[in-house]
Amino acid sequence: MSVSRDDFSIAFRSALLQRGASQKFSILSLIILALIIFFLDVYGFQVVKTTRSIVNDLVYRVTYLASTPTRLFPSINEGIAGHFNLKKENEELRQVIEKYKALDLNLEYISNENKNLKKVLDTEDVEKVSNKILAKVLVDRNSPFLKSIIINKGSKEGIIKGMPVTQNRYLVGRIVETNYLSSRVLLLNDLNSRIPVTFDEKSTQAILTGGGTREPTLSYLPEGYQFEEDITVFASGKDGIFTAGTPIGKTTDYGAVKLFVDPNQLSFVTVNLIKPSKEVF
Amino acid sequence: MAKGNIINKLFASGPLILLYYLSISEIDTNLEKLFEVFSLNLQIIIIYFWIIKRPNLMGTGHIFLVGLINDVVMGFPLGISSLSYLVICFVGNYVRNKSVNTTIASDWFTFLIALLLANLLFFSLLNNFSEVAISYSKIGYNTFFTLFLFPVFWFLFNLYQISFIGSQDA
Repeated sequence: MSVSRDDFSIAFRSALLQRGASQKFSILSLIILALIIFFLDVYGFQVVKTTRSIVNDLVYRVTYLASTPTRLFPSINEGIAGHFNLKKENEELRQVIEKYKALDLNLEYISNENKNLKKVLDTEDVEKVSNKILAKVLVDRNSPFLKSIIINKGSKEGIIKGMPVTQNRYLVGRIVETNYLSSRVLLLNDLNSRIPVTFDEKSTQAILTGGGTREPTLSYLPEGYQFEEDITVFASGKDGIFTAGTPIGKTTDYGAVKLFVDPNQLSFVTVNLIKPSKEVF
Repeated sequence: MAKGNIINKLFASGPLILLYYLSISEIDTNLEKLFEVFSLNLQIIIIYFWIIKRPNLMGTGHIFLVGLINDVVMGFPLGISSLSYLVICFVGNYVRNKSVNTTIASDWFTFLIALLLANLLFFSLLNNFSEVAISYSKIGYNTFFTLFLFPVFWFLFNLYQISFIGSQDA
């Protein structure tokens, strides 16, 4: 019996402390180091935050470079498929050109009218005022647990936590982590995402809750609410984070929301530089 | 001779290169577009297999570093993946110390213990010390598919070992 116990303790100690020819560190020492790093990171010491921010920027760039082949293969595939569809595409483009030629006739008139109206409103500089930043998606790694993307703009451009992120004016998510040169965007379908929304002619209020699945669901609805299909859901702006009226998606008859923007197909997004009225996440 | 030596070293570094690449690149084993619940932790399978079969190819320092990189890319608190990978290493080392010869069945069973311990540590730390919420059903599916597909990768890695590194076990 005691021999068996000795055997167990020897194997246990050996597994924890032994260092082989290529093992420069024992598992125990690395476990202790990992625990120290974990608690320093979780309890948010400023030094660790700054270090993490630098490490994040560096790793995201390397990740972007390392993922280049995975982006290249689908584009080569698309290129070959596109080559075979050239004739058909050419005919379609001819029709589009004809259509645009017709539209072009009205353009000059509309442009002049626009200029005159701007003079009236004294808002000639409207287009120069910008509170939005276009950002490229650096990393879009599909995790089973966290639905987020990394963009190539960070605190250098004035991005702070909580800012809403859109694509073609449709809501995509919000900033949850900022580094100097990059930021992490929490997508609407992530489990940690909760957004106050409004929809239908009665302006029904609800919370759009991410569940880690493709379609977030509507919760905290009025009692006995009957779901209807194809009703546009907008951000209500009650949280002081998202702009009221930002379109999000369409309702389904089973209480989910089909997002206007596919979270798995993001290449460029817009960060709205609106300072949230409260600290988030 | 020297050229052959370099190629051998390259083949021997294959599993470690794959491990680093899986952690730092966008490639993931979460095929939810095809099958919504399917996700797999291939890193854990790689670490466990090679720690049991060829521990000299998988330095614990490298595994620690891979974990840190994974945390940065995935957005988890730093050190949490390293801890889970090191638990896998510990169980793998223990099993190797205690057993003379291993079979796919014994490796599969001990992998279950390693996987459960690693995931338990990972999710209990995340749940208690971090604000990140995680779906329990996703954890269940991930653990199930990782365990279920272990024999497939066991055969593939074994084939790689026999073909490119040499059939001798540790």
